[in-house]
Amino acid sequence: MSLAIGSSISFRAKLLLRLAALAIVGLMLAPKAAHSLPLFARQTGQNCLACHAGGQFPELTPYGRMFKMTGYTIGERTVPVSAMAVASYSKVANTSKSDDPSADFSKNGSLIFATASVFLGGKITDNIGAFAQITYDPYSVQNSDGSYSGHTNADNIDIRYADRFVDDKSDFIFGVSVNNNPSVTDPWNTAAAWMQYVPVPSPSSSRFIDGATPYPGLAPGGNIAGATAYGFWNRTVYAELGAYGTADNAFRFMSAGIDSASITKLKGLNPYARLAVSREWGANNLMAGVTGMVSQVYDLDAADPTHYRDLLVDAQYQYLLDPHTVTAQMAYGWRRVSYPGSVANQPAVDFAGNPVANTNSSDTINVFRAKLTYVYRAQYGGSVNFFNQGGSTNTYYLDPTRVSGNAAGNPGQRGATLEVFWTPIQYLRVGAQYTAYNRYNGASTNYDGSGRNASDNNSLFLYLWGAY
Amino acid sequence: MRSSHLVLTLAVGIVGAGCSNIDRSRDLADPKVPALSLAQQVCSNCHGVDGNSVSPAFPRLAGQQADYITAQLTNFRSHQRSDPAGEFYMWGLSRHLTDEQIAGLAEYYSKQVPRRDAVAADPKLLATGKDIFEKGVPDQNVLACMTCHGPKARGIGTFPALSYQHADYIVKQLNVFQNTQGRPGTPMEFVTHPLSGDNKEAIAAYLQAFPD
Repeated sequence: MSLAIGSSISFRAKLLLRLAALAIVGLMLAPKAAHSLPLFARQTGQNCLACHAGGQFPELTPYGRMFKMTGYTIGERTVPVSAMAVASYSKVANTSKSDDPSADFSKNGSLIFATASVFLGGKITDNIGAFAQITYDPYSVQNSDGSYSGHTNADNIDIRYADRFVDDKSDFIFGVSVNNNPSVTDPWNTAAAWMQYVPVPSPSSSRFIDGATPYPGLAPGGNIAGATAYGFWNRTVYAELGAYGTADNAFRFMSAGIDSASITKLKGLNPYARLAVSREWGANNLMAGVTGMVSQVYDLDAADPTHYRDLLVDAQYQYLLDPHTVTAQMAYGWRRVSYPGSVANQPAVDFAGNPVANTNSSDTINVFRAKLTYVYRAQYGGSVNFFNQGGSTNTYYLDPTRVSGNAAGNPGQRGATLEVFWTPIQYLRVGAQYTAYNRYNGASTNYDGSGRNASDNNSLFLYLWGAY
Repeated sequence: MRSSHLVLTLAVGIVGAGCSNIDRSRDLADPKVPALSLAQQVCSNCHGVDGNSVSPAFPRLAGQQADYITAQLTNFRSHQRSDPAGEFYMWGLSRHLTDEQIAGLAEYYSKQVPRRDAVAADPKLLATGKDIFEKGVPDQNVLACMTCHGPKARGIGTFPALSYQHADYIVKQLNVFQNTQGRPGTPMEFVTHPLSGDNKEAIAAYLQAFPD
């Protein structure tokens, strides 16, 4: 089944009108001066595109990376608050192959207020600065009557101390960070915490948009507590070492808003390492790097941790010269998962109840991601983005649930996302993404065992992003 | 465990506050921060530690005339210079600089040695650029650049040095003079009036290469 063309066109036309009206209202309400901006722009008095490549958020320019590595301390102390809000619209190509479309694709084809964040931070002293995000999700919990309840919790937090020893012969930046998300400290946007940048709305109609597709990541994710130390030598070699643990006790603020039973629990301290080499020439700059993390997470068994080993290789090229911004990004992640005893080597059955091979004691998963972006005059942009996730088959992951199920026990996902966006003014962005799949949960066709194909998950996602 | 965390947090805070060093400050609103610190800690991010910027998005400041740098920073601070790049990048950074800091920055960059970009250029373009630089285009009323900027294009007073400057930056500034009111009050409004696009490219290529 495909979309009902006639109704979808009128729906899209209405939506575009609503988005345009919102954009115009935004433009009218926006002050003319280019200075009443989010907190970092207020701090330096500069336009957002000084730090963000072509005005894209959060991708950083070479100067933006230096601003971050020197601890957000360039400029002057200012009102340390900013806000961000996203309105969005998601539409899944096929909602018919589902037992309960209103639950499987909640808010499909509806314009929603998706998320809002408050940012606190900026320069605190000459050496200390912070970046802290608190996020509100209006669709955090779905109640038994189908309505939603909102929820607020700590998002990315990065508090750092930095010093820079520079003269005409050498340049060395040294810093330490207390943060809650491995790689949130990273100045390059192919890092696990940064490559995916449009928040994924919680309603299930957004479950297949680009932000929900596989990105190379680190197993523990965010809202944990860690400290890292880093150095950047002669604007060439970047190295960072750190360790992360559970965000509890004195570090509970790193997971604030998440109930204590649900916070990510780690065994002991889990090491994180990053090495990157960067070069700038003319209007070009290039980075190649590796990231590694070993972690033990109590995610599948409350008493016996799952062991993860993550190794990421990434590279980023930028060409930045008005009116052109070109960015090419590549990231590859390799993960080995060793399961706790209660999950490893257990008997399993297929959808008909017949015995199949026992579950694996370990798996490997790999994710490849490549993205090419062009922005003209920091206003009109487009990108093409390819993703491929592969990995070992494991009967543990057999799942007969319609739509989200997995008949192959395999994590394979492959597809591409096309995006166009417009930034009429620097704190307002309108974007449209279309994500197409040719593999989902290990198969192109009938991946859930109930007739759903990978391409049925193709999704249109429109968003209106504003920050102030 | 909890007390040790608190001790660590306090220690970091105290060390952080105690280590504050005006010579390595990036504070743009503190009149006590020396110009050299600002040049090294802030300006260097785009213009290079020695004023030789890597990216043509940012002008080369090494060896620039001190009076010219002083005039530009003062004009950014007062918003008299309002070309888009100047407004986006420089209005904010210069907003609280003192006259002393501006003079110090001007002196610092004027004493640095400019370097030539290793960029290959079309010999025909260079020859055209050299011709315009030295002789102008008399039948189009284009004045010779060297009349004001000097035979080596090193400038004098508020007439800027141009040799080794990034070609892209020169073309963009010629367009600002020619087509906008972004840099008012200089003879360049009139000088650039008759310039064609090809001539701008040629002058910029020649100035960037500036063969000995």
